[in-house]
Amino acid sequence: MTRQFALPITVFVFSLLALPLLLSALWVKVVTSAVIFSLAAAGISVLFAQLGLINLAQVALIGLGGWVALRLNYGTAIPFTVIVFMAGTTTALIGAILALPALRMRGLYLALVTLMAAGAFQILFNAFQFPNGGSGFWGVAQQSAAEIRLPLLANSDVAYLRYTIVIVALCFCLVAMHRITAPGRAWAMIRQSEANAMAAGVNVTFYKIWAFVLSGFMAGVAGGLLSGALGQLDARSFLAADGILLFALAVVGGVYSWLGALIAGLLFKLLPAVFNNIGLSADLAMVLFGAALLHAIITAPRGIAGQLLVAFSRKSP
Amino acid sequence: MRFSANSFVAAIAYCFASLAMPALADDPSCGLGTEVMATGEPIKVGGINGNAPPGDFSGGTDAAAAYFSCVNAQGGVNGRPIEYIVENDQWNPELAGQVATKLVKDEGVVALVGNGSVVSMAVNADLYRDEGVMVMASGCAISECYESSNIVSSNQGPLPSGIGALTYAVEELGSEYAACIGFNIPNNGGWACDWMNKFMESKGLKGTSILMDPTAVDLNSVYLQALAEGVDTILLMLPAAPAIGLLKVAEEQGGRDLFKWVSPTPLYDPGVAEVLGDYWNDNLYINIELAPFGSEGADNKNWVAVMDAYGQDGDRRDTFSQSGYVSARFFVEALLKLDPNAIDRAAVTKAIQGISNAESDLLCKPYYVGDADRHMPNHAGRMVAYSGGAFNIVRDCYDIESSYLDPIRQQEAALGINQ
Repeated sequence: MTRQFALPITVFVFSLLALPLLLSALWVKVVTSAVIFSLAAAGISVLFAQLGLINLAQVALIGLGGWVALRLNYGTAIPFTVIVFMAGTTTALIGAILALPALRMRGLYLALVTLMAAGAFQILFNAFQFPNGGSGFWGVAQQSAAEIRLPLLANSDVAYLRYTIVIVALCFCLVAMHRITAPGRAWAMIRQSEANAMAAGVNVTFYKIWAFVLSGFMAGVAGGLLSGALGQLDARSFLAADGILLFALAVVGGVYSWLGALIAGLLFKLLPAVFNNIGLSADLAMVLFGAALLHAIITAPRGIAGQLLVAFSRKSP
Repeated sequence: MRFSANSFVAAIAYCFASLAMPALADDPSCGLGTEVMATGEPIKVGGINGNAPPGDFSGGTDAAAAYFSCVNAQGGVNGRPIEYIVENDQWNPELAGQVATKLVKDEGVVALVGNGSVVSMAVNADLYRDEGVMVMASGCAISECYESSNIVSSNQGPLPSGIGALTYAVEELGSEYAACIGFNIPNNGGWACDWMNKFMESKGLKGTSILMDPTAVDLNSVYLQALAEGVDTILLMLPAAPAIGLLKVAEEQGGRDLFKWVSPTPLYDPGVAEVLGDYWNDNLYINIELAPFGSEGADNKNWVAVMDAYGQDGDRRDTFSQSGYVSARFFVEALLKLDPNAIDRAAVTKAIQGISNAESDLLCKPYYVGDADRHMPNHAGRMVAYSGGAFNIVRDCYDIESSYLDPIRQQEAALGINQ
């Protein structure tokens, strides 16, 4: 049990205390985004690893969480951390609606439904834009974006990275708790056989919806954190195609552990920034992502994280 | 009449001199002009462009890079060369924030010059203000460019240029109902088109906005929407590539004569004439924010000479390029007034804010910066008509009428600038 917790605790302490001091201003921003997207990847992993369900609308749900967070930030005096939680909760409720098709379909058909939902969000974001301090329900004015409130203790980029790491770590703990308690056991039974799970008294409908709620919550919190990191959001950051990419990277990273989600977030945001920093097109990362996905499907079904964790467990005494 | 040997030699010498004079006139003139390569401690200057679909806004940084190379080759800033670091935000807001942070915080640039991007200014305006760094931009297209304390652009952006085009359309072409077609990008298409509509209303006329998703451009449906609206004028509030695409759609559907076609600057591009062909002769009018490319003005000719001598293959030679040259020139002139050993960000910011009544034949009126909460020194332009594969001036320098400029005019009055 101690060995099981050693790696995540070490990574958390190192990321919180040492990492921000080692990074230049550019990489502090990049890593903040990467950590935020790893939270969204964790939401994808919950659905895919526990229930075998494919959700390609996760990036759209991040956008939804971001929209809610910006609207509340401009329209109310609610503290930022509470706003992030409310963004997560609202997105979780929308996630529950996405769960309705999942009650009757899975595999390719569910993936298509979530992809179409992501496309619908993309159109909505583009048509109505993200709040920028304007009045009315949409909160958009044809003016320069107003400043948003941040947590008192996270007003610098470095402090915000630390704040993000703490929130994301708490959410990872929430997922871990689900995996080792009743929902995790229920999801495992459902994945094996819905009929058997029902026969065993598992409320299949409830636990399927609950998984989407948890996944949506992760995406909503990620959106809230992203709104604070960037100050404003743009429809072009939440394309339906990015939902496919994030799902693929969650598989590459490994959907069965927290480390896989972290690797997915890093691949999603760090690699394009590295290419851009050395003067190459950020889109070049797509080529590598494709190769990495092939590698994961053929040789590493538990993803990069699975390989790393096996190596780590062999080396540990 | 007999020619002596001396006369013959003199005649030959004159011929050579005559041949040499234009070459001498085309030699670029930059900074100190000492023809001594600067070798001192470099002064770090940044630049951000947006070069990815749906548009290439790299002309400003291309020209600034060429001008700084020229300055470095001609004595630098009192002996110190300029190290120009250019980043591409690839039209990605997140990337825009990252590259600006890199330049401002990690590289510690004293200023940014030649910036041209649709997304970068919106994301980074607060960063520039908080870090006390000035941006002398050249290819601005969103409100933050013109409503921020630390950004000043030598190009007009879509608002003045668009109103300039509409002014001509109303006064010379008889436009009564205009559709402003733009991208639905925050503080770009919506912002500019809103002010177009206000301008039309102020004239007792009608305007409407047709905004499209920049990630899913469907020019056919936009054209049909304009047709359904019943407008008599189309204002192409778009980068050159999609604007040309829309003109091609109209050409395919025989729509040239259904509308009056006007555009702000982006469509004024050297490559446009080759693409448009004769179909659009005398039917396309463009407001240009700086001088025509073939202008005989000394500064315009120097821009060409600088680009010829110090530009790279593939550098853009468009309005943003002219604008980047202007920004770089005024920036260097401001730096040359400083003690070369005391050049830091604070001193450079103050020097830039001190620019006033700077003149260039590329601009219709003097350029200035000042210490203000917003900047828009360039709001007067010219109108050209497309004809015979070329653009011909149909109205020389004229200013626009818009209440948007009220605070700008107050600044100009306070600074004693006659705009």
